[in-house]
Amino acid sequence: MITFAPGNLRVPRWTRPVYMVAAGTTDFRKRYPEKKLDELCMMAFRMLLEENDLRQDPLEVKGHINFACYGEFADHFQDQLLCEAKVHDYLGLDLLPNVGIKTGGATGGSTMLMGATTVASGMSDCTLVLGWERMDEVKTWTGNYYIASAACKEFETRLARNYASYYAPMARRFQEMYGVDERVRAEIAVKNRGYACSSPYAQQPGRHTVDEVLGGEIVSDPLRFLECCAMSVGSAAALLCSEELAFQLTDRPVRLYIAGGSHTLRTGDRRPMRILLLPHETEEGYASLYRDMGKQDGRWPGFESFGATRFAAYMAYRMAGVQNPIEDLDLVETHDAFTISDLQTYGDVGLTLYGREQDYVTSGDCYLKNPHTGKPGKCPANLSGGLLGTMHAVGATGIFQCDEVFWQLQGKYDRFHGDPALWRRYGKEKPADWTSLQVDDPRRGLAISHAGVGSHVTCAVLERAW
Amino acid sequence: MTMANDDKVTLRAVPAAVESVHGAWVVQLPRFGAEGTHYHTYGLLTPYFKGLGEGRLLGTKCVNPRCPVSSGSGELWLPPRADCPDCHQPMTWQEVKEPRGYIYSYTHVERGGTGLEIACPYYQIDVKIDGVCTIIKSYLLDRRPIKIGERVRARFRTGPEATHTCLDLCWELE
Ligand SMILES: [Zn+2]
Repeated sequence: MITFAPGNLRVPRWTRPVYMVAAGTTDFRKRYPEKKLDELCMMAFRMLLEENDLRQDPLEVKGHINFACYGEFADHFQDQLLCEAKVHDYLGLDLLPNVGIKTGGATGGSTMLMGATTVASGMSDCTLVLGWERMDEVKTWTGNYYIASAACKEFETRLARNYASYYAPMARRFQEMYGVDERVRAEIAVKNRGYACSSPYAQQPGRHTVDEVLGGEIVSDPLRFLECCAMSVGSAAALLCSEELAFQLTDRPVRLYIAGGSHTLRTGDRRPMRILLLPHETEEGYASLYRDMGKQDGRWPGFESFGATRFAAYMAYRMAGVQNPIEDLDLVETHDAFTISDLQTYGDVGLTLYGREQDYVTSGDCYLKNPHTGKPGKCPANLSGGLLGTMHAVGATGIFQCDEVFWQLQGKYDRFHGDPALWRRYGKEKPADWTSLQVDDPRRGLAISHAGVGSHVTCAVLERAW
Repeated sequence: MTMANDDKVTLRAVPAAVESVHGAWVVQLPRFGAEGTHYHTYGLLTPYFKGLGEGRLLGTKCVNPRCPVSSGSGELWLPPRADCPDCHQPMTWQEVKEPRGYIYSYTHVERGGTGLEIACPYYQIDVKIDGVCTIIKSYLLDRRPIKIGERVRARFRTGPEATHTCLDLCWELE
């Protein structure tokens, strides 16, 4: 049993508050031969500068930037080291300092985290956070091999060379431990891919049924094709700044709190510890869970939970003053690279108790409109379409999720998803049955960015600041 | 690549060339032919990989009496670690005799990434070995439906068959 010392649980205290004032993105595709990587990054950068109702001209806004944080998961894909330098030059940001950030699937979130610390510390007044991935320059199964290089090289990678197969045993344990019906996982795929139908950025929108998901080809059982995200290409960006500058630049600044956690790469190395309690939880609340775990040789975090997600939420909630996530949050973006990672995350971030994640999904509270009651769901998840429906261009993902929450808080969902010109920009027609997914008057949202079976996770709380 | 009729999984692995450098095994991993070889050291874990090729499963444990977690009688770790993460002192090697355990979790791999050396489909399994505190990921030789909790015993690829990688350890149903 591992226990924390007090210093390990110190909640981050920033010297200054951090604000997000603008967001930009490309659309996402499986292949994007029309544009080079740096050209895609320019698309996201230009959108950030030009389309966020900032009170200054794009080049004036650019003139505030004094630091850049870049996220990219893997050099392998493009066979190009130090893309950061090429992108930075292409965006015309020489000679400003920049750093590259790399934390597997959580790269985008970690890039936001690092960007925030440059502002919080006073090192920067205005930081560009930008991430990308270009996974189309290798064949899909070679891409799988490259991604699986993020598993433990000596003891795991050779056992499949496919990351789905490292999540699948977690899904299997979770299913067995909590009696999860496969239809619940399938429902997540249906919901998120369905929400992607409203997004011009989405790579894999689709109106599927639960039976269709369950009838699909298996990748690594119990995970089927429609339960796994795909290879993506694209870029996303965010602009972070100090309080003073934020209110100069926009009348709708969003306050950002973000924290991270990390855990061993090898799921089997997760030695048991006591559950780290969120502000609204008690030891008694988990007495029966501990008894059940005892019966099935379960451990916390073990195979059933993501300790790193819980740790990140533990810190971020205390930074942001979130007392009870289901009451205090109006929407979330989970890292649904696989249906199982979405399901497991609901317990980790405390939207429900551990062990009750399945009931949480079937309750309908993770929908914009609860399918059982027809009323608004308490905390809709992945209105962006998520990783399953929209994209997992890894280095961009965590940034894109914050972008979507940011626009939701500003009340601009329709503007950034429903404008026919935006659809045409990406060579698409706005669907006739397009539906607005704007949450009614949201105040706070959450975005989870998550790497290799939970090895790195960031938890961002975004809050309306006007 | 599918050999669903066979009831045992086979490997397409070519034994990796190894050289011993200052007592450590350095395994050669050709990527783009001989010119593109990576030289990967097993460092202080060399005894583990040597052991597999001799049909022996070696774990490590912390025997430091001042260790805040083990207090000198640590549980066995597999995969092994040369140094204890709790007290940072060197750990001690110990063999697991006639290794047995149970399937803690598993997945049926239908298709792996490029370069996979195990013939699909097969079960990748996480094995809780009796007397070991961690859970090791491996693969099952048998190709018949399995359940969590089923008992397994270790098998090794030894001698000229040894690949000098983690693939030298696998399991079969008891
Ligand atoms: Zn120790």
